[in-house]
Amino acid sequence: MILAPMDPKEIFIWSAILGVSLTTFLTRGSFILLGARVRLPEVIDRALRFAPACALAAIMVPDLVLVHGTLKVAGNPRLLAAVVAAVCFLVSRSMILTIVCGMAAFTAIRLWL
Amino acid sequence: MTASSERTAASREGVRDFLAVAVGVAAWGLVTGVAMAQSTLEIGHAVAFALLAFAGSAQLAALPLMTSAAPVWLIVLTALVVNLRFVIYSAGLAKPLSGLTLRRRAWLSFLVGDLPFALYMRKATADPNWSKSDSYLAGMGTANWLVWQSSSITGILLGARIPREWGLELAGTLALLALVIPMVIRRVAAAVGVCAASLVAIAANRIPLHLGVLIAIITGVTAAMLTESLERRFQRLRPNAESAT
Repeated sequence: MILAPMDPKEIFIWSAILGVSLTTFLTRGSFILLGARVRLPEVIDRALRFAPACALAAIMVPDLVLVHGTLKVAGNPRLLAAVVAAVCFLVSRSMILTIVCGMAAFTAIRLWL
Repeated sequence: MTASSERTAASREGVRDFLAVAVGVAAWGLVTGVAMAQSTLEIGHAVAFALLAFAGSAQLAALPLMTSAAPVWLIVLTALVVNLRFVIYSAGLAKPLSGLTLRRRAWLSFLVGDLPFALYMRKATADPNWSKSDSYLAGMGTANWLVWQSSSITGILLGARIPREWGLELAGTLALLALVIPMVIRRVAAAVGVCAASLVAIAANRIPLHLGVLIAIITGVTAAMLTESLERRFQRLRPNAESAT
């Protein structure tokens, strides 16, 4: 990669990049790499069916309702846009249309309200 | 069909199913790239970070800590906590992928992010007779990688030229929204879990190291499982009630 002696800042950045990359690979690979030798208890198996929806909601919802770490429901353009997008999804079942409608609503609110 | 043409067909199907959500992934990659470029990272570092980590949420969580020169162990631990949901995904994939070579499993491990996992699981749940093809996952994962990396690198190169007030990162969140809604429609337990996870994630957002996200996921899954147990008990009390699907 880089053969010249690295300054401490380079070492810091590369360790962080490689460390984050490694945790990503090891978490994604954990059970896949261990293979069928490790069996899941029934309770974990049940939990699995609910985990993705809960994880995605836990990442997504704070992003919509928090403004700089504070709850803001009334007059929150991102939340309003998400409501428009959700209605659009329920009607159309199309992800592309949902994103386009939501972003159009957000842009309209941002520019004219 | 021969085994190899079946694999090609499954792989193509994976790519096709991915294309329905590709716009969301492209927006999310673009946003991650722009955020990388707008930080103190040099372009080379940002591109290497995208190519090696291939994890938008972990990268975005690590970024402010890297900018403020936090200790490396803290940066890595933060990314690990954000990534813990992948362990849950990995457990779900262990059985269907267990017959493959280690090399193939390592490659698929590298490729599986939120979207391929969610789409794969949705397909497996919708059709119990589906063969759970690893080619489907590989095709989808490769398409996901290509779209995410190209949009991410485009974002890095565009850098500060996209004004932040355009709110482009919202597109990524809306893509997640369109992914969550079908998981909760007509499923009371899942809906309860998602509500609980959302409320806890909001309440716990000031807990450091993104631990609030992990606490929210655990709470949500527990709430969903309790609701499911109650539903089952309720059905046993009313044997003539319409059975849940």
